[in-house]
Amino acid sequence: MSAQAGAVARRNVTRFGRAPPVTKNLRKNPRTLLPQPHVKNLLVRDIAPCRIMDHYYNTLQDDLMYMTYVHQAAPPKQRQIRLTFDPNDPYARNRYNPPVGGSQVGRKPAPLVTPEDVIRLERIQIHTMVKEAIGSRNNLLPAIMAIRALTGETYQGGGRHSNDGIQIVKARKSVGGWLRPGVPVGVKVDLKGPAMYDFLGTLVDFVLPRIRDFPGFILPPASSSVNSPNAVSGVVSFGLPPAAMGFFPQIEVNQDSYPKMFGMHIHLVTNATGLGAQNRARALVSGFQIPFIKK
Amino acid sequence: MFSRNLLTSCRAPSKDVSCLRRALATEASLGSSTTASTAPPASSKRSTRPKITTAIILNRSPTLTRTPTPFERAYYAYQARIRRALHNPFPYEFYFKQGSLLETRFNIEEAEREQLAFGKDFTGEVVTNEKEEANKRAVAQLSQQEGEGEVIMSRTHEADIKKDTKSLDRKGARNLYLLLRVDQDGKQVWRFPQGGVEKGELLHQAAQRDLFAECGPHMDTWVVSRNPVGVSKSPAEATKDGQEDVTFFYKAHIMAGQVRPTQASVSDFAWLTKEEIESHVSKDYWESIKDMLSEH
Repeated sequence: MSAQAGAVARRNVTRFGRAPPVTKNLRKNPRTLLPQPHVKNLLVRDIAPCRIMDHYYNTLQDDLMYMTYVHQAAPPKQRQIRLTFDPNDPYARNRYNPPVGGSQVGRKPAPLVTPEDVIRLERIQIHTMVKEAIGSRNNLLPAIMAIRALTGETYQGGGRHSNDGIQIVKARKSVGGWLRPGVPVGVKVDLKGPAMYDFLGTLVDFVLPRIRDFPGFILPPASSSVNSPNAVSGVVSFGLPPAAMGFFPQIEVNQDSYPKMFGMHIHLVTNATGLGAQNRARALVSGFQIPFIKK
Repeated sequence: MFSRNLLTSCRAPSKDVSCLRRALATEASLGSSTTASTAPPASSKRSTRPKITTAIILNRSPTLTRTPTPFERAYYAYQARIRRALHNPFPYEFYFKQGSLLETRFNIEEAEREQLAFGKDFTGEVVTNEKEEANKRAVAQLSQQEGEGEVIMSRTHEADIKKDTKSLDRKGARNLYLLLRVDQDGKQVWRFPQGGVEKGELLHQAAQRDLFAECGPHMDTWVVSRNPVGVSKSPAEATKDGQEDVTFFYKAHIMAGQVRPTQASVSDFAWLTKEEIESHVSKDYWESIKDMLSEH
């Protein structure tokens, strides 16, 4: 009896893995004659467990919270630097409340560390510029195909409506004798979710260890400004030489198909903000085994 | 993100409903409140100063990916089918030379994937039987050249079969924590490595020193932060010497090596998962540490 019940349970489980038997054919679109799904907005979620995402949620997240936590018994007292806006004051009522003067970039302190607000990777942007594309935009095609092979992203591919796919970067400014606004000069792609972690895993396991004479990405000197927009942005950026592209397994398998290899900029965008954001972002990224060294 | 949360809540390796709780910094108090009424209040100024102890939660992170539950597998298979049905056309003419072996292999594998997703009746390009056989042979030769078909290591380690709790290779998909069995007031109890704080010493330094003092120098460890991840207090009335006992817990990772107890008082050690720890330690101790340990 129990063996039979076990067999039934097993069959039920594997049944999900196969397509269900077709009992009624889908309605067809009269214009395209293609079958229409029953629902209008299909939402497609993760299709496989993700090793590096699991690593983040199992180990890194806790560690980073402990590392970046700053204990505060009570919220710090704000120093009164000017008169505050009092809406009950008859003078101030119905008047414009101007914001505090000056740019706040690089002056805002980091927000408090809470379990909900631990630093995490939001997206990875890969960007490559193709100089030859200025002369002939056909030269952009190999770069598009290479980035597509690397990431597997296409415009709204696989039913993911927020996926922009591989985008063409166009020139914004006019550079005398060289560039005009609107000329396509490069390609970029934004990765999010499991695709982002998978790309990071490929980079760390296959590419970085095989780059010749590569000890790690060089950190800025200790004397560099802590208030610069770069230092408070929470983005870690680095570049890969054209030779490194051949080390990606997706490219390596048929490297002859590409007329040339392209270098790329990789931006790891985190949710860190405020003072010291980039340092915290580097702490997170080094948890994914991306090496950094001091010059 | 939604699906991740959804799946996490369905995973539930533990028996109770606490699967949604994450291991976070906590404060818990040891000892029952009933003893408070019977014990006399501390009178001298000296005894009101608490005794400070540091303990290390030495963690071996998972080394294997976890096995998805049947529900998760079904969920992933369903989502994968939808994604395959909605995927954009793939321009394979660019990536493969016409008639190359790579193209043949891709076509065979793609046909398998389509059949897996949409059923046996789904057939793509029609080829003659003779050609199909030739293709399969060529692809088999290619994969042999590339060294495919090697035996994959088992996910179950020898230590799992032997139930060797001292091995760092056991339970590869779970977080393991180090427990020591020590002689405490003539009783054998399990607890984390711990020790006192010397004068002028910082807490995280004391934690590192105490770890080496009890577990030997034959391992490579890293204490995660200078902040403790949790604290447990046992009131002065509950302790033997009438002094309040405050223990600060630090999280550490083991990178290499193994524990070799140096002191005679440490009679045994074990690497255990969260559920196994519950059955080893006393109830009060469990209440103070359970929220600092990972469910995974």
